[in-house]
Parts: sequence; C-alpha cells; structure tokens
Amino acid sequence: MKIILTVNGERHALDVEPRRVLADVLREDCRLTGTHLGCEQGVCGSCTVLVDGEAVRACLMLAVQCDGRSVRTVEGLSAPDGEPHPLQRAFSAEHALQCGFCTAGFLMVAVGALEADPTIADDPERMDGLVESNLCRCTGYEPIRRAIMRAAAEYASHARL
Amino acid sequence: MKPAAFDYVAPRTLPETLEALADTERDVRVLAGGQSLILEMHLHRIRPDLVVDINGVAGLDRLSLDDGTVTVGALVRHGFFDSPQAVPGPLGRLCSLAAGNIAHPPIRARGTMAGSLAWAHPASEWCGVALALDAAVEVRSAGGTREIAARDYFRGPLRTARARDELITSVRLPLLSDDTGVGFVEHRRTHFCFAQVAVAAALTMRDGVIEEARIGLVNCADRPVRAHAAEQALVGVEPGSTGTGLRLPDGHPFARAGRIAAEQDAAPLPEPYADLEYRRNAIAVLVGRTLRQALADHREHNGATGEHP
Amino acid sequence: MEQWTRREDRRLLTGHGRYVADLEVPGCLDAAFVRSGVAHGIVREVDCAAAREVPGVVGAWSAADLSGLPACAHAAARLRDLPPVPRTLLARLSSEEAVAGREWPALAKDRVRYAGEAVAVVVAADRYRAEDGAAEVTVRIDPLPAVVTPAQAADDSVTLFDGLSNTAFTGEAGEPIEETVWQEADAVVEARYRQQLLMPAPMECRTILAVPEEDGRLSVWSGHQMPYRLRRELAALLDLPVDRIRVVVPDTGGAFGSKSATFPEFVTVAYLALTLGRPVRWIEDRMESMTAATRGRGQDQRIRLAADADGRLLAYELRIDADVGAYPHLGVGLPMQTAWMATGPYTTPRVHATVRSVLTNTMVTYPYRGAGRPEATIALERSMDLLARRLGLDPAELRRRNLIPAGSFPYRTPTGRCYDSGDYATALDLALTTIGYDTWREEQGRRRADPDALPLGIGLSCYVERSGGEPGGLHDFAGLEAHEDGTITARCGAAPSGQSHETTFPALVARTLGVEEARVHLVEGDTDAQPDGLGSFASRSAQVDGAALHHACALLIGLARERAAELWRTPVEEVEWSDGTLRLARDGSSAMELAELVKGTGPLRVDDRFESGMGFPFGAHAAVVEVDPELGAVRVLRLVAVDDCGIALDPAVVRGQAFGSAVQGIGQALYEGIPYGDDGVPLLADGLLDYLLPTAAEIPPIEVKETRTPSPVTPLGAKGAGESGCIGTPAAIVNAVADALQPADPDLLQMPLTPDVVWRAARAQEHGAQEHGASKAEEAR
Repeated sequence: MKIILTVNGERHALDVEPRRVLADVLREDCRLTGTHLGCEQGVCGSCTVLVDGEAVRACLMLAVQCDGRSVRTVEGLSAPDGEPHPLQRAFSAEHALQCGFCTAGFLMVAVGALEADPTIADDPERMDGLVESNLCRCTGYEPIRRAIMRAAAEYASHARL
Repeated sequence: MKPAAFDYVAPRTLPETLEALADTERDVRVLAGGQSLILEMHLHRIRPDLVVDINGVAGLDRLSLDDGTVTVGALVRHGFFDSPQAVPGPLGRLCSLAAGNIAHPPIRARGTMAGSLAWAHPASEWCGVALALDAAVEVRSAGGTREIAARDYFRGPLRTARARDELITSVRLPLLSDDTGVGFVEHRRTHFCFAQVAVAAALTMRDGVIEEARIGLVNCADRPVRAHAAEQALVGVEPGSTGTGLRLPDGHPFARAGRIAAEQDAAPLPEPYADLEYRRNAIAVLVGRTLRQALADHREHNGATGEHP
Repeated sequence: MEQWTRREDRRLLTGHGRYVADLEVPGCLDAAFVRSGVAHGIVREVDCAAAREVPGVVGAWSAADLSGLPACAHAAARLRDLPPVPRTLLARLSSEEAVAGREWPALAKDRVRYAGEAVAVVVAADRYRAEDGAAEVTVRIDPLPAVVTPAQAADDSVTLFDGLSNTAFTGEAGEPIEETVWQEADAVVEARYRQQLLMPAPMECRTILAVPEEDGRLSVWSGHQMPYRLRRELAALLDLPVDRIRVVVPDTGGAFGSKSATFPEFVTVAYLALTLGRPVRWIEDRMESMTAATRGRGQDQRIRLAADADGRLLAYELRIDADVGAYPHLGVGLPMQTAWMATGPYTTPRVHATVRSVLTNTMVTYPYRGAGRPEATIALERSMDLLARRLGLDPAELRRRNLIPAGSFPYRTPTGRCYDSGDYATALDLALTTIGYDTWREEQGRRRADPDALPLGIGLSCYVERSGGEPGGLHDFAGLEAHEDGTITARCGAAPSGQSHETTFPALVARTLGVEEARVHLVEGDTDAQPDGLGSFASRSAQVDGAALHHACALLIGLARERAAELWRTPVEEVEWSDGTLRLARDGSSAMELAELVKGTGPLRVDDRFESGMGFPFGAHAAVVEVDPELGAVRVLRLVAVDDCGIALDPAVVRGQAFGSAVQGIGQALYEGIPYGDDGVPLLADGLLDYLLPTAAEIPPIEVKETRTPSPVTPLGAKGAGESGCIGTPAAIVNAVADALQPADPDLLQMPLTPDVVWRAARAQEHGAQEHGASKAEEAR
C-alpha cells in the first residue's frame, strides 16, 4: 500500500504492507533506527514517537494509519544546525541514560508533553506521568525525572521571555 | 512478534465501514485505538483477514451532551477524559478517575472508550464504569442500529452481545446528578499491569442518606459485574463517619457492603499472585474504600450540609 | 563536547546509536525460531515443509533437517549436523561431571526440556516473513511430567536426562558444624527462604548478526559481554581457526550478566550464515526473551544461625537447593558464589554452606546482576533480623557487634574467601544517620500506638560481595598506541552495555598520562582491533580493565622514555615524563611531545595482560516501608544505599549504576517472579504485563552515598560497582516489611512480596495476636 509519511519534516513516499507497524517502517524503510523496539507490547515505550505532535507507541500503530500524517522521531529533535534540543542536553547533564536503548522513547514522551504545554513543569503529577509512561532498566528513573524537570524549566523560562 | 498479513481498508464513511464489516465470511476486525488489537495481533492471538480502520470515519470522534446523556463517539480517546471537566458534573469526575488508571498517556492518546467496550477485557476500567452507570452501547450494522444495555452486553471474557458485523458507534452514559458522589479505586501490583481489582461507585445522597448506590466491579469475575446485592444493602443507609484511618470502622455499612459484594456479587477467578481468598478480601476492601471515596466526593461538592461529621 | 557529559551521549541521544538491530546489511536474512509450548516432552514431529513454501522464506529446518539428510529441501541439502551449545567450565562455575551426557542442543531433537526451547528455525527476507514461516511449522510433542522446582526435581522421580540424576552438582564451603554448637547456643533461629527466578530483562533483548565475508571469514555482531569467548566458542563449534572470526559488540542495550553465553540461537544463526553463505541475524523479541532467555537466582535455602546471649554470632549454616534449569551451564556452579560468600560481613567463627544444583524443566539459570551474592546476602541479612528479634536486640546493634572490624583485613572467612579491605561499621553508621534511623524508630513507635496508622517498618542489610572474577579469570588485556597527530588509542578487552567505558577509560588514561582527555580514544568490543580480552562481567571493568589500562600507561611512558633516551643518547633514567612530554631530567631541556617522538621514531604501541586480585565491595542499605495490611500493599517510603567500591573512576557514573541497581533490587523484593502452571509452562501470556518490572511509579526517594576504602589488590584501588543494589537492597526491604508486620511465621514472607503474600503475613500476625489475646484473657480468668 502506498503511503506518504512526513518524518521530521521530510516527505517519504513508501510502499508498505498494511501489517507493518510504524516503528518497523521508520527503522527499516526510512532507516531511522533511533526508534527502538523493546517489547512490541506497548509497555516499555522505547518506540515512542510523535504522530501529529502526540506521543504514541510506534509498535501499536500501523504505518498505514499514519498516511498523510506527520511523524517526529528522536532524529528530529536537534535543530537543523545540529544544536541539541534542551531535553537532549538535560538528559546528558543528569546522567539520564546509561545503555541508551530506552532513551529515545523517554525523550519523545517528554518533548510531546513539553511542546504541547510548557507549563507542565509546574504540575508534578503530570511530570510524574511522563516518567511513568516508559520502562528503563539502567537508571532507576530518577535521573530521567530530573532531566525532564531541568529541560522543562528551560522551556518555561523561554516561554516567559 | 509481528502481525500476520491482512487486508486493510480505511473507509471514510459509516456506510462504507458497515459494508466492510458485513463480510462475515472472513475474520474482520475494527481498528480504532488499536492498543489491544495490534498487541493481540503481535501475539498472534488474533490473525484477522481484514482490518477496518475507522479512524478516518467522519463524525465518530465526537462527544455530545443531550438530555442528560453523554454520547461518547467511537473515536473519543481515553485521554479525553483525563480532565474532570471534560464531562459535566460527577460523571466527569468519575470518568477522569477511571481514565487515570488506564495505562499511561501514550496509550491513552490512542485507545478509546468504545474500543474498551468492544474488547471487553475483564480488567477494563471503562467496562466496570459502563455497567455501574447502566450505559448503553449503540451498535450499527448494514442491517440497522440497535442499542444494547450494558447489563445485557457483557457475555464473558472478551465476549459481548455485539455481532461480528456490528460497529460500536457510541457509548451512552447518563449524566449524574449533583447530589451524586463518585469513586474509582484500582488495586494493581505496579503501575504497568492489569488491575487485580478495581471498583467504580456512585452514591446518590439525599439528606445524608444513600438514595441510590451504583457499584461496578472490575476483574472480579470473567466479565464486569454489577454489585447489586451490595448496592441494595446501602439504600437508605446513613453512612455517617467513615473514620480517620485507612481501615473502615468495624461494622461500618461500607465495610459490610464490601463483604456482600465480595461474597455475593463477585465471581472471582484465581490468578497468579491472587488466589480466591485474597481476591475476595481485596474486593471487599476496595468496595469499601471506593464507597468512602464516593461519599467524600459528595461531601466535597455538596458542602457538609445535612451530613454527620 | 561540552554539550555532552559522556562521549556516548551524543549518538545515543540523537538516535545515532548503533545497536545490532540498527545495522544495515544488504541481503540480510532474519531468523525466527519455532519454540516448544510444552515444558517437557518427546518430540514426535517437527515438519517444516509448509514453512518452506511461504513467500519470502529462504529456509526452514528442524534439528533432524540439519543432519544432512538427502530428503531435505534443496536449501538444507548442504547442511550437516548443527553443533550443540558449547560447554563452559569458566572459573570453576561448572564442571565436567555436571555437563557430561547433558548436551544442550542448539535445536531440540528428540526431547524438549523447557517451554520455549527452540525446535526449528526459519530464515526469511525479513522478520515478518520469518514469523509467517514459523507459524506454518507443524510441531507435535508428547508431554512428559514436568518438574519446575528443585524440590520437585531432586527426587529423580522424573528425570530430564535418561539414566542421569537431576542433581548435576553438589558442593560446599566451610566445615560442617557440630550439633553441640547449636545445642549449646543461647539463641538459634531457623528459616527457609526462596530466591525466586528473575529475568535480567535488559531493554534490548539478545541479538546476533552473522555475516560471511568474501575472504571466507565470519563477522559476528552481537550485544554481548564477552566477545572473545563468543569468538572462541563459535570457532570451536564451526571448526574454524579463531582468527577467521571477528566478533564486534556495537552499542548494547543493557546486559546485567545475561549476555555472555553462546546461546542456542547464536549457534544456529552463525551456523546458518556460514552454510548458506548469507548474512543472517536474530533479533530476539520480548516474548521470546521472556520464555527462552536465561534467568537468574532460583535458590531454595534453609538456614540456621546461632548466637550467644550477647548477640555474638557463633555459627551459620546455609543449605542451598539451586535451580539449574534444563541444561547445566554456568548456573550449575553459580550457587557456589553464594556458598563462598555465606560468611557475609560478620566475624562468625563457624560457617558451613552446601549446594545441591538440580536440573528442572525451566529455561537455563545464568548470572543476573549480583549472581550468587544477592542470594548470600538476603539469606544472611534476613536471618540477622530474625535473630535480633529473638534476642530482643536492635537489628543495627546486633550487626554492629558482629561486623568484621576495620583493622582485620585481609580477612579470611570460614567459607574460603579472603576479603581485601573494608570498613563495614562506617558504612552501616552512614546508612543509619542518612536515613534518620532513630527518628524512624520513634515514628514506628508512634504508629504502633495509633490504631489508625499504617504499620511502618525499618529494614537493614549489610553486605559484602566479590568483584573482578574468580582465579583464572581475574585478568584482562589492554594496550595503548600513540599516533603522530598526538592522539592516543586505548584498547582493552572489556565490552560495555551501558557502563560509560568510552568516557571513563579515556579519562583514566588521559589522567594517568597527563594529556588532554580529548586526545584519547577507546577501542573495545572488537576482536580484530584488540587481539585478546575477557570482557565485562563480575563488575570487573574498572577493577580489572581500568587497572590494565593504567598498567599500559606505565608501559607506554617507559617505552617513550627509552625511545627518547636513545634519540638523545642519554641514559633512560635521565629522561622524565610529565604531562605527555618528555624532558631531560637535569635541566628540563630537549622537551619533546609524544607526537613528535612518534613522528621521529615510528609507531609507539604497547600491549599487555594484567591480572588483578579479587575485590570485595561492601555497604549497608536501609529501607523504610509502610504496609497497607488490608490489601497487603507495600510502599517504600525511603531507601538509603551506602556502597563502598573502593576508588571510583567516575563517581557520577558509579552513583548512576548504584541507583539503577537498587531499583532492580526493589524489583526482586516486591514485584518480579515467574509463576508456573501445573504443566510447567510459565504463566506469562501477557508478557511485561505479567512479569512486572519496577516503573517510575514504584520508586521511592533513594539516596545513594558512598564510603571509599581502597582495594589493595588492584593498583587503582577500585573494586567492582554496579551490582550493589541487587545485592544490598532486597533484604533491606523484606526486613522492613517483616519489621512492620512482625509476623509470627517469617517464612510466610517470601519474595516477591506481592500483596497477597504480605496480606497473608499480616493476617497471620492478626490471628496470632488474637490468639495471644485470648490466652491472656483465659489466664486472667
């Protein structure tokens, strides 16, 4: 089936089997392998990407469902000039990754929420909800929570400017 | 864990959808949120011949209010209910409490209330709410439209009264009156698993006395269960003080209702880490706590007038 | 560079990491395995004919198809016998007797011995098609009775291997303790503990990509902890010289001890790649991992602990029935780790530990973070709390009276270990003050007086563990090469899976040589780039590979000084090295940068093998929990982990690992377990919704602190880090729950402390209290 995916602003005209999940198409057809599959059950969240700005599990969405829609992956986080996204910097600063396999999923959950509503930093419950969306086996989550808080604070200060 | 091959259609209109579903020769599945369907396809527990993606069908994503009823379209996502203001009054608070227990935000962004009812997992929060509130499920096929009352709808684990060629177009929930307090409490082992037990409750109070009680039990049987016996035991009761600790005072009507629900209404099945004895205990405790939450909700929204301290 | 705290971060945070599944290899085939749904049975039929007809499928084979039978489909016709999984006698953790006659086949042939065992393999153009093929394979297995616990299996009423006992190994540490010791002791406690089976569950499951190269070599990419072992074992199996195989470990998504073997699937994939002459990969998915990947722990323990009236420990006895799983591999001797560490941090004069390793119809037991030491610590620390209660002593005080004093190192234990260094009491004191022990005890008292308050408990756990490896495996290889452009390549035999080697090792080398960090680059995890190595296991990378790199720095400096001396025609003693520059000692003249030396005298490279001693990291963990007795829910309110791993190369990295490890320890204590049905099949149909890993919602405030007692047995003073939480945390939590509930029968509290388990223990306590009350009332009458 022929579909058009706009991934990180780039248009991809693809011919995919309906059964192929979005994560596989991003990884294999678009060669954007930063999105990882950790469980294919929608549980771990490693494959989380933004579809039309909203964080979704790319293992529980068919690529054909995204025909004509806009997808954002971890590869699309940095600015075009390579300047890292505040979340990327914050994750590094807070040691919020070790093996790095789950990292893209956490980044995308967080960026979806922060871009939709920069004031989320003021709502601890919603902030917790972000970290509680995915699994990480290395860090114990707290560094991830701190990193998202740190980036959120930066967002909020930009929003006030 | 890759789905087997299937045909895929993404109709734009309801008639096209119903036409696709009319193909009863094949295993046809409706794809709305897909958060259970695609998982089951990964696990090869479902291998559909045809997947009908209704996400592009116009008009199904609406929620409307009409004459004391909320009509939740088939594409209204769980996440819509996160805010207690999404739906007016106590119903909005109940839906918000229930939705908060469904997985996590990325799943709630896709999954739908109608989809939960279609899937009818015994641990589904929405199924328990629907049953407690006497919701109605509107289904359509090429042959026409019918409405199935929640009490007639659930037939067993993952089994419902919906025929294979029928699409759930909406779920209708009655708005709750302002003198109703609501509660939803879920007990699960970690944040990422099905409920061991969850309870939805709505208490309609008049002059400090329970006029009507509605209790829906989640994962307390092979399907959602209405705790009729417990509800009846509560009508006309003046709940008074529920104590200050987590444990209800001995002999409190909510504790009694919990035991009735566990012994008479529920039909729990054993599962790992929850044998029958534990499950009955958990049901009794959770019903009591949910009723207390509902009473507190009522008191919070109706002031303390006419209430005992 | 300043944007990124770790060198790994740039690629891992921008989606440019390269895990095995991310590698693009044209024409690569995907393998999918057909697995037994039966735990124990006779294989009657595995028919792959229909699978071979599926579009996209390149081949499908059962074990029988790979015996070179002429009747095979053409794609299989060239294939001969599939080699079995290699035996591993590494570091005394398995034995010839244990593995003799108990071969682990790559594909089960006549008999399946655990649910999930592979019986056929399908390779296809992609994973979707491979699974299409796998679905068409017909498998008929006649079930046999299954035994899934050591207790069931030990009597040999059902045997896994005909004519052989299920008991694959017995061993002991220490001397048997005379009965009089127990009879004469003022207090003796006895208990049984279950160390449940756990899934290491790295976020990336197992991976292998095998590529036959044009020159006849085989390149293997795998998320792996021991690339040299994988190379050596594959070479032996495939009958190739070792130098015909290259193993590369790219980015690896966690391992936790579980990624160091040459697994059945690896054997099959490498074999097929070579015989088909095409690249083949196997990217394990989560459901496969949950049925067919190795698990850790799996011990049933019985203990006796004796003390005098003052609480001085007299004797400790630990009897272990260990679950080996279906085939004897490292899991056979792994429980000896527990036996050797049974003494723990105490001066107990008599300690005796026995091990009986029993085969069961479950997937193979293997190291998982902690690997034998959590089992030792949890048993001992739970017993210490039982004893404290029996003696009416504060658990902290009981420990204090028995900890090995700081001045007693090296300390030989009755179970055969020689602890290198330690200051156990300081770690305990730091844990107590950090958590606010006295304040929590007051709060506990307040709550006990308040009928509305939830019970609160405080749990302690002192531990000492072992890092680096066992004798024979305490070394690694490292080398340095200085280049003309001033950069330095560091190489070592380690293979990271998230431990920041790429950042910490260059920093160490730069610090040691006195050069800028940016000039040093690390190469590891590539058997072509570094000729030999052992890998990353037993928390050894800093302790062993760090020391080896440190040693290589000394060699490089020595060689550079020799070269400069030659160049300057002066005795080598006259040449000084400082901050990457060579100088004449007497006046500092003739300064020469290392790069200039290389330009002038040719490549400068040193390589060596370096051996470290065994390190014994230690610490003390403390937990505060609140229990909801009506539901049995446990809420951890606070956790403090004081760990001492000697000198940390990078404290932030070590702390990060300690934190993550503590969370895995919480997982063992409260959430993780593998339930089995009567037929021996794990009840995990819903995958990660059934096997519950801790999520952020379960994590209490955790404070990680460290004390630093250098190890004298390794030049950097570094001991292993990263396993501390799995070792120290579980007993702290279980002890805290026991402290909250004070159950009459502590054996009721077996991990994981799921709500039903805790509810039962709480109820037993209530019933006990009521009975107690009743008898008091009768007395009054």
